[in-house]
Amino acid sequence: MRRVSVMGRERPRLDQVSLTIAPGERVALLGPSGAGKSTLLAVANGLLPVPPGQLLWQGAPAARSRRSRRLQQRRIGTLWQDLRLIEELSVQQNLNAGRLATWGWPQALHNLVLPRDTVACAAVLQRLDLDPILLRVPVSGLSGGQRQRVALGRLLRQEPDLLLADEPLASLDPRLAAELLALLLREGAAPRALLLSLHRPDLLAGFDRVIGLRDGCVHFDLPANALDQGALETLYAGCDPLARPS
Amino acid sequence: MKPAPSLLLLLPALVLLPVLLLLPQAVHGGGWELIGSFVSAAVQPSRDPVVLGAQLQGLGITCAMALVGWAASVVLGLGLGIASARVVWQSWLGCTWPADLLARLLALPRAIHELIWGLILLQLIGLEPVVAVAAIAIPYGALVARVVRDLLDALPRRNLEGLLAGGAPPGLALLTAMGPPLLPGLLSYSGYRLECALRSATLLGVFGLGGLGNDLLLSLQSLQFRELWSGLWMLLLVMLVLEALVALLRRHWGMPQRLGLRRPAAAVGRQARQLLLLLLALVLLAAGLARQQGVNPLQLLHWQPLPPVDPGAWRDAVALPWPDLIGGTLSLTLVATALAVGCAPLLLLLVGPWRPGQWALQLLWALGRLWPPPLTALLLLFVLKPGLLPAALALGFHNLGILGRLLLEALGSADPGREQALLVGGCGPRLALLYGRFNQVARTYLAYGAYRSDVLLRETVVVGLVGSTGLGSQLRESLAAFAWPQIALLLVAYALLTLIGEELSDRARRRLLQT
Repeated sequence: MRRVSVMGRERPRLDQVSLTIAPGERVALLGPSGAGKSTLLAVANGLLPVPPGQLLWQGAPAARSRRSRRLQQRRIGTLWQDLRLIEELSVQQNLNAGRLATWGWPQALHNLVLPRDTVACAAVLQRLDLDPILLRVPVSGLSGGQRQRVALGRLLRQEPDLLLADEPLASLDPRLAAELLALLLREGAAPRALLLSLHRPDLLAGFDRVIGLRDGCVHFDLPANALDQGALETLYAGCDPLARPS
Repeated sequence: MKPAPSLLLLLPALVLLPVLLLLPQAVHGGGWELIGSFVSAAVQPSRDPVVLGAQLQGLGITCAMALVGWAASVVLGLGLGIASARVVWQSWLGCTWPADLLARLLALPRAIHELIWGLILLQLIGLEPVVAVAAIAIPYGALVARVVRDLLDALPRRNLEGLLAGGAPPGLALLTAMGPPLLPGLLSYSGYRLECALRSATLLGVFGLGGLGNDLLLSLQSLQFRELWSGLWMLLLVMLVLEALVALLRRHWGMPQRLGLRRPAAAVGRQARQLLLLLLALVLLAAGLARQQGVNPLQLLHWQPLPPVDPGAWRDAVALPWPDLIGGTLSLTLVATALAVGCAPLLLLLVGPWRPGQWALQLLWALGRLWPPPLTALLLLFVLKPGLLPAALALGFHNLGILGRLLLEALGSADPGREQALLVGGCGPRLALLYGRFNQVARTYLAYGAYRSDVLLRETVVVGLVGSTGLGSQLRESLAAFAWPQIALLLVAYALLTLIGEELSDRARRRLLQT
C-alpha cells in the first residue's frame, strides 16, 4: 500500500497508510476500535477500491478491469469475523465455494447437486483437525468452533497467497481462540503471508511483525519481538477503556 | 443427496425446454407485423387530448372501484376473520367449532375468482357500479378473513390468558391482547391487497365492468396500439406510485414483508394510532368515492329474474367433457406456475450484475403485473394458435411480474455478506449471487411460489375466458348460452379444484419452510 487514504464521514478512516507485506510474513494488526483495521483489510482485499497506484500486488499495480481484478482477488483469502458461511449448504459445498473463483458454471452447478472433490475436501478437514464425516453435514448444524474451522477450510480450498483475517478471535473463548490462532499461523506461514487484526496483545507470540494503527495512521510497525509495553501504552493512550485490550 | 436450495429455485425454469420445443408448432403465419406495431407504439403513445381525457376518466373509475372494493374487503375480512378465529370463540364460549365451520364456509367465496364473481353478478343484477365493487370485495374479503384468522390463531395467548384471569371481559381482553400485535400483519397484507385490487379492477374493466380496462380492450381490438400504450403507461405510473407508497409505509412502520425475511416490529403506542388513522382515512375516502360513483349495496338484493331451467340442461351439464376440461386447467396451472416461478430467478441470474439489464427487467415485470392476462393472450393470438401455450405464456408473464418483484424484495433484504465474501475471493457476480443470496431466499421464495400456484389455478379462468383452454373456456360458452346448470357445475368444479390445490400448496409450503 502506498499512501492509501480512505475518507470517512468526519475524519479519514485511513490516512496516508503505506505498508508492504512480504511472502512468508505473518503480521498482526493492532489498534483501538475505530482505528481503521477493518478498513485497511477491506482495501487489501479489494472491497474498498482506492485510486490507481496506491495498491500494489506482487509488485504490480492492482488491476483496474473487473476481470483482472478478479484474477488478483483469487490470490487473496479473507476470513471474516462473521464467517459468512452459506448456512443452507453442507460443509463440503461450503469448502468448495472457495473454488468458485476458478471454477466455471458446470463445476459450480455440479457442486450444488452433488458436492465434488470429496478427497480434497476431506484432506482440508483433516488438516484443520476436523473429522471428514462432517463433509455432508449442513453448516447450520455445526458448533461455533467447527464453523470457524470450516470458514478457514474454505480459504484453504481457495489456495490464496495472502490470508487476511478480520478479528477472527473476537467472539471465541480463550481455548478456541488459541486453537484457531495456531491454525491461522500454521496456514499463513511461508510461502503464504498472513495479515490478521486482533485486540489481544497477549496472543502475538507466533507473529513476525506487528503494526499498530491509530486514527487511520500507522502508529508503529515493528518486529514482534521488538514490541514493548510502552508502544502498546501509547497506541491505546486516551482511548475509551472499553476499546482497550484486556 | 438433495440439490442445494439455490438449484431448486432454478428447477421450475426447465419448463422452458418443452415450451420452446412446442412453440414453433404453435406459431401461425400472420400477425408479426401487428406485434411489431404494438412494440413500436410503446415509445410513441397517443397524445390526443380526447383519448387521454377519456382514458384518465376510465383510470379514475378503475382506481375508485379498486379503492372501494378494497376498503369493503378489509372491513368485511376483519369482521369475518375475527368471527372465524378459534381464539375468539375459545375465550368467549369455550368452544371452537363455530370458528371452524365459518372458516370452511369462507373457502367457497375465496375459491372463486373475482372475475367469475363479476360475471355472475353482472348476469344477476345487471350493469351497476356495485357489481365491480362486490366482485372485488367478496373474494378479497374472504382472503383477508383467512389471513386475520391465521394471524390471530398464531399469536401467543399468554397475554390474553393473563387478562382473562384478571377478570377482564373477553371482548376487551381480546382487543387489548391481540389487537396491537395483529395490526402490522393485517396492514401489511392489506397494502398488498390494495395493489391486487388495482389489477383486479383493470381486469374487470376488460370484461365490460367499466373503467380503463374496457378502453384498453377496445383499443387492442381496434388495433389502436398507440392509444393502448397511452392508457398502459398511465396505469403503470399509478401502479408504481401505489407500490412505492405501500413499500415506503411498510418500511416506515417496520411492517413485515411478504417473504418475511425480516421480523416485524411490534406496532404499539403512537405507531399503532398512525396506522389506524391511515386505515380509517382510506376507508372514509372509499366511502366518499362509493357515494360519488353511485355504488349502492342494496342493489345486490335486486336480482333480475332468471330464465327457467330446462330439466334436460342438467344432463347436458353432467355430460360435459370433464376430464379434458379439468386436465386442461391443471396443465395450464402447472406450466404457467413453472414459467413464473422459474423464470424470475433465471432472468435475474442472466442479467446479473448488469445494472441497465436489471432496470429493463424491473420495467418488464412491472408491465407484466399491470397488463391483464386476457389482453396478453389476445396479443399472443396474433402470432400463436389458440390453446394451452398462449394461455400459459399470458398467465406466466403476469405472475412473473408479481414473483419477480417479490424475489427482488427478498434479495434486497437478504444478508449481502456471503455474496460479498465470494466476490472478494474473486468469484464472478453470477456465481456469487447463486451461492450467496439465492440460497438464503430459495425456500421462502419457493414457498410463496407454492401459494402462487393456487392463485394461478383460480386465475386460469381469466385466460380461459378468452377462449384458450380448460374450465374457463367452457365457462365462457356456458355464460354466453345462459346455461345455468353448466355454470353451477363448473363453479363447483373450480371451487373443489381450488380447495384441493390450496391444501396441496399449503402442505408444500409447510414442508419447504420446515426443511
